[in-house]
Amino acid sequence: MKVTIEFLGTQHAVVGADRVEMPITGKATVNDALDYVQSKYPQLKLAEWMVIVVVNQHIASLDQVLKADDVISFLPFLSGG
Amino acid sequence: MEILKQIKYKPARVAGGYTDRILRIDLTGREINVEKLPSDFKAKYTGGRGYALKLIWDGTTGETRYQSPENILVMASGPLGNEPGFPGTGKFIVGTISPLTDTFIDSNVGGHFGPLLKLAGFDALAVTGLSKEEVVIVIDGDAGTIAITAAPKYDKETNGGALSYGQRLLKEVNDGQFSDCLAAASAGRGALHARYGVIHSLYYDKRRGRVRAKQAGRGGTGTVMRAKGLKNIVVRSSRAKANGNNPVDKKGVRAAGREMKRVIARADPTQLHLSAWGTTILSEYMDKFHIFPVNNYQYGQSPDSVKLFAHVFLDNYFSRRVPDGCYYGCNLACAKGAENVELTRGPGAGRRVSVDGPEYETVGAVACMGIFDPHYVMEYNWYCDEYGLDVISTGVTTAFFMECFERGYLTVDDIGYQLKFGDITAADRLLHEIAAGKGFGKIVGQGVARGKKWVAQKYAARNKTPKDEALAELNKFGMEVKGLEFSMYVTKESLAQQGGYGFALKGPQHDEAWLIFIDQVYQELPTLEDKAAALKWFPLIRTWFNATGLCKLHWIDVRNPEAAATDEPSKNLPTLAHYVDYLNATTGSHKSLLDILDDSERLYILQKLINLRQGKGTRASDQLPLRAMAPVFFNEYQSRADYYDRWLGQNGGGRKLPASPGQRHKLLIERRIEEYQQLCDAVYQQKGFTPEGIPKRETVARFGLLDEKARRLLE
Repeated sequence: MKVTIEFLGTQHAVVGADRVEMPITGKATVNDALDYVQSKYPQLKLAEWMVIVVVNQHIASLDQVLKADDVISFLPFLSGG
Repeated sequence: MEILKQIKYKPARVAGGYTDRILRIDLTGREINVEKLPSDFKAKYTGGRGYALKLIWDGTTGETRYQSPENILVMASGPLGNEPGFPGTGKFIVGTISPLTDTFIDSNVGGHFGPLLKLAGFDALAVTGLSKEEVVIVIDGDAGTIAITAAPKYDKETNGGALSYGQRLLKEVNDGQFSDCLAAASAGRGALHARYGVIHSLYYDKRRGRVRAKQAGRGGTGTVMRAKGLKNIVVRSSRAKANGNNPVDKKGVRAAGREMKRVIARADPTQLHLSAWGTTILSEYMDKFHIFPVNNYQYGQSPDSVKLFAHVFLDNYFSRRVPDGCYYGCNLACAKGAENVELTRGPGAGRRVSVDGPEYETVGAVACMGIFDPHYVMEYNWYCDEYGLDVISTGVTTAFFMECFERGYLTVDDIGYQLKFGDITAADRLLHEIAAGKGFGKIVGQGVARGKKWVAQKYAARNKTPKDEALAELNKFGMEVKGLEFSMYVTKESLAQQGGYGFALKGPQHDEAWLIFIDQVYQELPTLEDKAAALKWFPLIRTWFNATGLCKLHWIDVRNPEAAATDEPSKNLPTLAHYVDYLNATTGSHKSLLDILDDSERLYILQKLINLRQGKGTRASDQLPLRAMAPVFFNEYQSRADYYDRWLGQNGGGRKLPASPGQRHKLLIERRIEEYQQLCDAVYQQKGFTPEGIPKRETVARFGLLDEKARRLLE
């Protein structure tokens, strides 16, 4: 099983890709996806306090259990221009 | 330069952020007066937008229109403007009666003009009257003179250009040299012919070695300026910018500024990274969540949007490694620009120019016309700037007329050529026509609100149908409220942002509220009451920045790491605490955040009274075009049919989902209209208004605003 982590905005400039796939087991959570990104791309400097997590375009918590083919984004805080 | 009238004056000293002086200039009688403000004026009206509101409330009437002699063009910074020790202090407000809305508009702009005006001795400049010949105002704090001069005449191209004329003038008044002790406010020939002319704030950027421009973009302030016969305003002061506010507590100011800069330095690079990308970074996020305004807001997303994402502009246009703040001391520095951009179209084709921008709004305005060519974004940016036209209103109005053509409301005979979404040649031709006031550009230059009526008349005459019926259809997709065109966000899926645009006192500009993400994406406002509470709180704090001379991007788009531990992270309260400290250290006050919100609410109610007086202050004026709430035509519904059907399942009010897509579309529209009316009721209650959206007497009295004029108005 796998999920996709999308990189948006400055993230894909830093990472050099617009997405990465992560293999999961039945009990993987969003927090596991965050750990995966942090270890694979330490230059991204993603931290829990600075992102909003969205799974399949819906807000999610770090302890949400992932399903196959979920798409996860770690968004910065946006309050407009 | 030919001096028509000049006075000598002694620039007042700035103390605690204020000079307590305003400069009044009447162009009809060529009178120049320095007015000392009563000592309680600043306590009640704060500065910036507050000063503009009070001057307009006192000096105009319900009959005042943008070109009336008594209309006042106010430029004012605020007590916290001009402090290089704190980021984002270059802002000032232009306030006036708008040619688009016929009521008060305040337009927020950065650069050096506001700080230099204060250093030259003035908290505000207020210009009334009409000059028969074109004039320039020169405020020289160094020489101690204020002059009205005949507007110098240069070559034809320079004379018509808001950028080129202002640049030439800045050199001429300083013996051929640019200097950061001078700045200009400039309006171009587009402002003579369109209702949405801008005022540029021109300043000399030492790092780039050229004059740069920021815009007071919304509402037609440049049109007012040129209607007065006023072509340019130059201000000079060599007073030191550092500690220029002469704060009561210098250490406190330095400490607050240090803390803010530390937050920006730590957090911005890991969040939006505005310092590298500018606001173009927003395009990708807006497109992902169906908020990017494609084809006159029909769609929020397009497979072509990627051509306008931030990396395209960073890779191909923006100068790199240049800290691009619009005023000293700002480490967010998001005012990106490009050099040596070749113009391939229009009267300037073949020239290489410097472009200040694009901002997200320019990118969104071009996408609104269905165009996804980044080079056209650069050219559009430059031509709008040189002509002095609002990129937003130009794009949204053009997009409206494109849709009118595509849906058969207009023909080639009406326009002179085909005008379709995505047609760069047609869009570019129209842009130059708008600036020149020629051909179809004459109609488009009137904006959406007036444009709709013209189209309805044409259509009704051609088809022998009632004009009102045609207008009712055009109202559904003419994207304006109160006469101002929408800024560049699709609000269909965010009830809170529908309110953010609908209730905004100036019209649908997002500086009062930008709640799309916390509503639609973060889902932090699940109930009507949550949305209403947000629509009370956010406009008050957001507009406070416009009263104080501050940029709000450091608060709204950089999340303080400490905010995560608070009860309401989206309010970013730890950052607001630094602003409160900065205010108290500058002025010597002892205010809390609640006090600041009260001060801002006083100005909010005053603006509401002006709206009421001008006929734009009731529930009727807060209503939205249908497209802001729902997919209007079936093609829009079909583009996201699964999503809309799921929404109906969750929000259909318990009604069974109809069998046919057409009926589901109709039910969706009914539900969305119902929801917005429920929001109106909840918000008016929160704000202390009647169900008709009128402030209650006790609400007005609470803020000391129940003068004789207000009393008569509320009767």
